[in-house]
Amino acid sequence: MTAPSTAADLTDVYPAYLDHLADADEYGAVDVALGLLDAGLPAERVLLDLVAPAQSEVGERWARNEWSVAQEHAATHISERVVAAVAAHANPRPTGGRVVVACMDGEWHALPPRLVAEVLRLRGWQVTFLGASVPAAHLVSYLHQHDAHAVALACALPVRLPHAHRMIEACRRSDVPVVVGGRGFGADGRWARRLGVPWAADAPAAAELIADERALRRVPPAQLSHLADDEYASLVRRRAELIDGALADLRERVPATRAYTAAQLDSTVSDLGHIVDFLAAALYVDDASLFTEFVEWLTGILTSRSVPAAAVDLPLAHCATVLRDFPRAVRALTLGRAALLGAAR
Amino acid sequence: MTAADVRDFDPGDGRISTPSTRRAPAWSAAAPVRPTAALPPLAPDRGQVPPDWSEVVEHFREGLVVCDADGVVRHISPVAVRLLPEVVPGELLAAAGVRGMSDGIPGAFTHRGRRLTARCVPLSGGRCCWYVEDVTESVSRADALLAERARSAFLAVVGDKLGNPLHPDRAAAAVVRLTVPSLAEVAVLVLAPRSGRARWWRASRVDDETPMVDSGVLAGGDLPTAIADGLTGIEPHAVDWLVEQAVDAGWLPGLPGVESAARVVPLPGGDTPVGVLLVARRATRPYDEDDVELIRAFAARAGAALTTALLYRDQAEVADTLQASLLPVEPAETAGVQWGTAYRPAQAGLRIGGDFYGSHRLADGGSLFFLGDVSGKGVEAAVFTGQLRQCLQALHRVESHPGRLLRLLNDALLETTQAHGQGRFATIVLGVARPEREGGLTLTLAGGGHLPPLVLRASGEVETVPLRGMLIGVVPDQRVGEVTVRLAPGETCLLYSDGVTEARGGRRGDEQFGPERLVTALTGCQRMPAPALAERVEQVTCDWLAHGDHDDIAVLALRAVGPSGRPSRHLHAVPAPADPDQQRETGA
Repeated sequence: MTAPSTAADLTDVYPAYLDHLADADEYGAVDVALGLLDAGLPAERVLLDLVAPAQSEVGERWARNEWSVAQEHAATHISERVVAAVAAHANPRPTGGRVVVACMDGEWHALPPRLVAEVLRLRGWQVTFLGASVPAAHLVSYLHQHDAHAVALACALPVRLPHAHRMIEACRRSDVPVVVGGRGFGADGRWARRLGVPWAADAPAAAELIADERALRRVPPAQLSHLADDEYASLVRRRAELIDGALADLRERVPATRAYTAAQLDSTVSDLGHIVDFLAAALYVDDASLFTEFVEWLTGILTSRSVPAAAVDLPLAHCATVLRDFPRAVRALTLGRAALLGAAR
Repeated sequence: MTAADVRDFDPGDGRISTPSTRRAPAWSAAAPVRPTAALPPLAPDRGQVPPDWSEVVEHFREGLVVCDADGVVRHISPVAVRLLPEVVPGELLAAAGVRGMSDGIPGAFTHRGRRLTARCVPLSGGRCCWYVEDVTESVSRADALLAERARSAFLAVVGDKLGNPLHPDRAAAAVVRLTVPSLAEVAVLVLAPRSGRARWWRASRVDDETPMVDSGVLAGGDLPTAIADGLTGIEPHAVDWLVEQAVDAGWLPGLPGVESAARVVPLPGGDTPVGVLLVARRATRPYDEDDVELIRAFAARAGAALTTALLYRDQAEVADTLQASLLPVEPAETAGVQWGTAYRPAQAGLRIGGDFYGSHRLADGGSLFFLGDVSGKGVEAAVFTGQLRQCLQALHRVESHPGRLLRLLNDALLETTQAHGQGRFATIVLGVARPEREGGLTLTLAGGGHLPPLVLRASGEVETVPLRGMLIGVVPDQRVGEVTVRLAPGETCLLYSDGVTEARGGRRGDEQFGPERLVTALTGCQRMPAPALAERVEQVTCDWLAHGDHDDIAVLALRAVGPSGRPSRHLHAVPAPADPDQQRETGA
């Protein structure tokens, strides 16, 4: 392999790198990354310009149904091995305080926070990466035992926002400043502002924020007064009832669903659960766009798997009928159905 | 002074009110709201005998100063004389130099140590009358109330911030941060020295927002006398030399050395103070008795928080060490095997539980591996897993045949449980993996009542290994199941605990995940590396739970690495040997 020396070479090796991910070829992928390092590309650039975009491509290939879940998991594992190899190669000496990086409880997208952790490590912080889906109790007991300068929490799916909020509050009670990141807080971080927590768009932004202790401690108040209407709490209580109702409705109107296998039924129930949970998250941060973005995404996923958009519209209509006394929920559902029409067209 | 002079004016005590006057109440609580319509307007003359007005006016709470059109004082009531002795009849009011009355603008001001309010009302003939009231007491009552409220609010914030057990360093930083700006412009906390070294934290005010916090270490002998005294529990009362000491020590950046006020309070600990807090601010705001009382109340809370934090740290260190010894150890790298593990204890705050797994290298190049689950939960169960793992660690050196090893383990276990008089038992799958010459692995498995392992074939199918057997630790002559499985390169064997299949979730949260769903989740995953596969099992299980309670979850996956696959390397920078000699690499 010829040694690449400029950023243009990174674009040259990118397709080969993606092929290694597709083949789950750990050594091939690691060799590409180490080759770039040997050619003088800084480790941070390798992580952010090679590993990160390749991993988003992996997610998109899954969404387009080009890759199976198994392929996606395998590729993600290879990406993690590449990050480990790059980190071991760079081996920076820690000079700063301790920063704890973790995924929210229930959040399994561990690679983006892992990249943040490594970028922080490269910038001299002593980083502890607690991994995927860290239970709040585990994180809090860790913070009680180890003095941390800051906690960086990642959330890739907005459906976790209510849990994320509880976790943020738990960290705050330990008097440790919190930074959040990930697509779960909205592309512009607007739901982080709602929850009153500093948000970083990417790893370098997170590093800058963590280096500025006064910015970390400047906490804008959460804007959650809308929760007083109890719509969120009621929806969470009625989750099972809504899923059951939507499933019965689907079976009545779409005869094909009656012949579903157990696995198909499970994934239908899981999709219905997602609809209710995303609706609940939208009510929690009082932003219907959270729900409409989800509906557009789900429609894309299902369409690529040959499920008609009408299969999504039925449960939305069902929820709107059952929840007619909840004005915020009805509004989100109405906008969601409109988005569905737009996405299906 | 005639009735006409006072007719349209409110004496200010609220007893008489006329519709034409508008007056802002000095303190709203004391000004009763009365409907003005209920009172008849003052009649100019009802034919009554007029009282002696000057005598009446003398008993007003307000003092009166009447000036003529030129501003010369013409009349002054006894109350006004007492409040404003420098105002002399026959001279210009402005000449008296009473601040707040000379410029003709009404308002509140301080005069001779009293809080006064004054308002000027025009009279007929260009004259005017000043109504002067002494509001010292009501103002000081209101001030005291506000100060008390501020103190309670401050202590409430302190209670909130220090109420949780914190890491000692974080608690110390929180203490100094809370002190600024409410109690001080600079605050220094010195912890009681441990092995001759005293750690300190300092917060200094930068602006109205967050203070700057720094910290460091001092040798115990270098402490200023006042601090060293404070650490023995003595609170120094002579305050002037305290500032000098602190300034000499270079502790008060940004404060003028001489014109500063400082206090030192011990933070109460167990028997001796846990530390000492020095607070300092500009002498323009000296520390009065109320302030010192507040600092002591704060110190009591801070002392309690620091004591708790230190106690918590000591106990957490012990717990952490014990927990670390009970955590499953990641399998050692073995030629021909790619390991994958996942472990999620039921109690999230605790990192340990009743599930266990592990592996040991065998002298013949093979590898012993196991995964099991003991009866009971939490710490007790974790301790039991530790005993089992130690048993296996010792026994595998004398017996490496899985079936015979399992029987030995059963006997050892039975002996200990009988000795302790407790019925403890466990389920386990124990196996030996041996690499084959043409690639792939041979697994010899022994079953002790555990869930049968799954095998992911290269075709994508998932097989259940027919492995039976009885629980271990129950009967002396235990029945052990034994099976041999061959894994072609790229095929994987998966061991898991019942925390996976008995996870409750689904639509209503009461449905078990079950082995069928597990098989479905694994089907088609034959190309996944073992760590990714173990994580996938953990993830689908936790997704099924949807944040509900769960039992301990443990997964151990072994994937046969093909002969074409490069051998594992510790360091990626180390070049792979041209002809990998597995025996030499793994050693014995």
